[in-house]
This record gives sequence, structure tokens and C-alpha cells, in this order.
Amino acid sequence: MLETLSLFLGIWLLFLLLAIYYLSQSPDGGMGRFRESVSEHLSAESRAKVLLREMLTENQYQQLIKFGYLEVSSPTIDSRVYRIPSAGGLVKVYERGCAVMELCLQPAEPLPDGDVVVMHKLMIEGNEEEYLQKANHFAPGIISLRCQRL
Amino acid sequence: MGMLRIMSRRGDDRIVWDTKKVNANDPEAVAAVREAERIFNETRARGATAFRVESGKTVERMDTFDRTAEQIVMVPRVVGG
Repeated sequence: MLETLSLFLGIWLLFLLLAIYYLSQSPDGGMGRFRESVSEHLSAESRAKVLLREMLTENQYQQLIKFGYLEVSSPTIDSRVYRIPSAGGLVKVYERGCAVMELCLQPAEPLPDGDVVVMHKLMIEGNEEEYLQKANHFAPGIISLRCQRL
Repeated sequence: MGMLRIMSRRGDDRIVWDTKKVNANDPEAVAAVREAERIFNETRARGATAFRVESGKTVERMDTFDRTAEQIVMVPRVVGG
């Protein structure tokens, strides 16, 4: 079973490499545009990572890396914490350790993942009222009604 | 030093100016801060929100450009998903 899987992966990788090679030899510049687009994407992600490092404390950054989310305390509501996912998705809101709602808010233009995290953080800390107004609110844990502890 | 950072699909674009040189009417520094102010107003007009981000201080929303700000970060218009 494992051997079959390895063989399949090997063949797939070979085809992928061949496709990349032929595209790179293409005279119409198709691969050039592809390379440019990949390069732009990598550059954007890299810049976003720099901004993220600068906007977060070391502990916040470690939390994001280890757990895949960043917790931001509400500046106006005691015991409320917003949990921002590192790779997009709904922001979970907890009060006294219980999930109370989930929020969906996104930039009108696409941003690198790191910038989206910073966007949520800044809006919560500096503009919470508008953040809550603009976000769509969802009940937490639609499938499971069990209280989710922090 | 002051810095304006505008988030976009390319990552953040930055404009930096030297506040001391601006105060001393250095032409290059004045041009940089004017450009930053122009972009600030233009980006806000498109629905972006600006935040003053300074070390050791709480984040503040900004409605008008302030050349004395250490760092201004502009977030594009957001919509409920």
C-alpha cells in the first residue's frame, strides 16, 4: 500500500516538474507572468510577516505560531476576548471563557494572511464599535452547544 | 521619524519622513510628508481606516493626518463576510 502511494507521488512530482520545465521554456512569456505573480505573492507575504512581527509582542507572536490564533482583549468590555485565526476564518468571541459569538469581517480587497490578522487586531483595539457594527455575527458552536473553555 | 503604512494585496506600502527635517523645512522631508498626507486622505476617501500605532500606547483611530505620529497604519475598507 505504502509502495503504491510512494510510486503515485513520485509520478505526480515528475509530471509537476516536467510541466514547470515546459512552461519555463514557453516563448509567449506565460511562465514569466506566472513567475512574476508567484514572486509578487511571496513578496507580499514576506512584507506582511514583517508588519505582523512589528505589530505583535513576542508573546502574541508565539501564541499565533503555536496555537494558530491571536487573542486580543476587548478595550471596552471586561472579560471579553477576541480570538483571531492566523489563516483566515471567523473571529471567535469569548466572555469569561465561554464562546459567545463568531464574527465574519473581511477586507474589501484581498490582503496577505498576516495583514488580515493585523487588520482585525487594529480594528478591535482602535475601532471596536465599528468593527462590531460591520461584522456579521453568528452563534458560536452551531453543531455543539457545549461551552468552549479557553 | 514618521511612517505611513498602507495595507494592500502587495503587502504594506510605506512612506517615511523625518519629523525634525520637516520642522526645519527641509524640501525633501516636506515633500514626503505632503505625499503621505495626500495618500492618507485619498485612501480614507476610498473607505480605509487609519490607526495611530505607537510603542507602549494604545492603538487610536485617526480621522485626520498627523505628521507628528510615529506610525500610521491604514487598513482597507472592510465588509461583513
